[in-house]
Amino acid sequence: MTLQTVAAAESFIPRRARAEVTRRVFFYAVIALVALLFFVPFIYTLTTSFKTLPDAANVTFIPHPWTTSGWHTIWTQYDFKTYIKNSVFLAVVVTVCNIFLGGLGGYAFARLKFPGRELLFLLVLGTIMVPDQLRLIPVFVMLTNWHLIGNFSGYILINLVTATNLFFMRQYFLTIPKDFEEAAKLDGAGYFKTFWRIMLPLALPAISALVILQFQGTWNDFFWPLILFGQGNPAHYTIQLGLAELNFQYGVLWPEICAGSIIAILPILAIFLAFQRYFISGVVSAGVKG
Amino acid sequence: MATASHVVSQPRSSMLGARIREAGWGYGFVVVPIVVFGLFFVYPFGYALYISFFHWGILGKQSGGAGTFNYAKVIHDPVFHTAVKNVLEYTVGVVPLTMALGLSLALVINQKIHGRNFFRSAFYFPSIASSVAITTIALYIFNANGLFNHIIGSRTPWFQNAPTVMWAIVGLNSWTSAGTAMLYYLAALQSIPTDVYEAAAVDNTGAWRTFWKITFPLLRPAHFFILVVFGIGALKLFDQAFIVSNGLGGPNYSTYTPVFYIYRTAFTTFDFGLAASAGVVLFVIIFALTLVQRLTVGRQEAS
Repeated sequence: MTLQTVAAAESFIPRRARAEVTRRVFFYAVIALVALLFFVPFIYTLTTSFKTLPDAANVTFIPHPWTTSGWHTIWTQYDFKTYIKNSVFLAVVVTVCNIFLGGLGGYAFARLKFPGRELLFLLVLGTIMVPDQLRLIPVFVMLTNWHLIGNFSGYILINLVTATNLFFMRQYFLTIPKDFEEAAKLDGAGYFKTFWRIMLPLALPAISALVILQFQGTWNDFFWPLILFGQGNPAHYTIQLGLAELNFQYGVLWPEICAGSIIAILPILAIFLAFQRYFISGVVSAGVKG
Repeated sequence: MATASHVVSQPRSSMLGARIREAGWGYGFVVVPIVVFGLFFVYPFGYALYISFFHWGILGKQSGGAGTFNYAKVIHDPVFHTAVKNVLEYTVGVVPLTMALGLSLALVINQKIHGRNFFRSAFYFPSIASSVAITTIALYIFNANGLFNHIIGSRTPWFQNAPTVMWAIVGLNSWTSAGTAMLYYLAALQSIPTDVYEAAAVDNTGAWRTFWKITFPLLRPAHFFILVVFGIGALKLFDQAFIVSNGLGGPNYSTYTPVFYIYRTAFTTFDFGLAASAGVVLFVIIFALTLVQRLTVGRQEAS
């Protein structure tokens, strides 16, 4: 009886182990296949950017011959230099404004007491519900009246601070113990100094996440640059507008188009590789909050 | 203790002064954000409604109200119907496909495998890459002589062909956003208590059965959340439709979406009144969906 049980158990364990190995091999095969599906388009684009135009019509992964002429053309002939400069400028300015104003506002809503605070905070949350498609026409009409179409100030003005960022900063400030501020107050620090010298440095993790997400959002933004700069002077094009234009005008220049796409993606890839956990935790916390 | 007696001994006027000072700084800190939100969110909300009741062209408001003219025009416009039909087809295609892909990826990543962080990042990356660049790459890979047709042995110009273009965008965007769905599902999977699975293992339930009888139903809040978030996102489709059609919505209106309709009405025919009313109609639809989500999630949390 006992021996039988032991024998049964012995034959049972290897079978399970074998099943486990099969299962693992199967998983790795599936995941490798899927990963290929995610890598191949990018690799194919990268290699095409080093092809000659006739060679781009061949479905091959190795350029024959290798050339940097596609890169050279978009850099010298199609002004990608300017587009990159514009995109970096807008992304940096918008991100800095969002950290400062979102931080300042978030701190006040988290800590300072003033009449009407709850009501104003409701207004902040309410703005999350107003979609871009609804405010598109009125904002365009307003900026036209103020002569802010076709230059960067209009774009920066409507993106100075978002409710999401302010809310995000407020939630973080709420988690910081009050001891720090009380100590600062005893040392005679005023409200702004407390915010700037104590609270903002303590909120560094939140700021890092915000920097990355906002920079990526502005860099990738296509809708508002199209509305505000799309009809006018290419000197104001962002990288996304410039790439779209290259597509529309020269849709068969695959090496140039592939090089342009790589440029539009590369900075975000670099930031992503360096700060993955901020992206991923940002998405998940936004999801949990709903 | 010393500080407490110090505060108590202060005259009342100075305490009032401190409160006024705090309130003053509070208002000072929030004034710029509040002005920005008021000017570019709250005011435009009302202004959009206002514009929608006028004949409003490139030179601004024309004299005399339009009443509900713009709304009647939007609702009876065959182009708007096509736009709504296109985006509904797209939504019905892309949302389940993204969810299925996202859940499959999450289940794979959730196993104890080597390099799971690497794979997780690889699958997520398309979600944060530029939509213009991703669409451009797709145009290259799916063109008549491109890589995809080479593999399957076809010559279909997937993105330049009216019957296939929306489905090509469905394929493209479910590939792009599957990584985001995967992250939501991963978070949900990791919140399922392990003793549920231990019980299933004791009962010798197979993996397939465990998934359908236990895991899948327990993921219901995640299913619902992703359904609504991706559903709303799908109804706002614009960038990809714009890029693949060279900003024209063709061929034969097959890439018109409601947002694209708003864009063209405003910036090609310069009918701001009509565009604003289309914006209001789209907002009402999206707002109703958001309410459904909030109410249902609220009820789930209460129960």
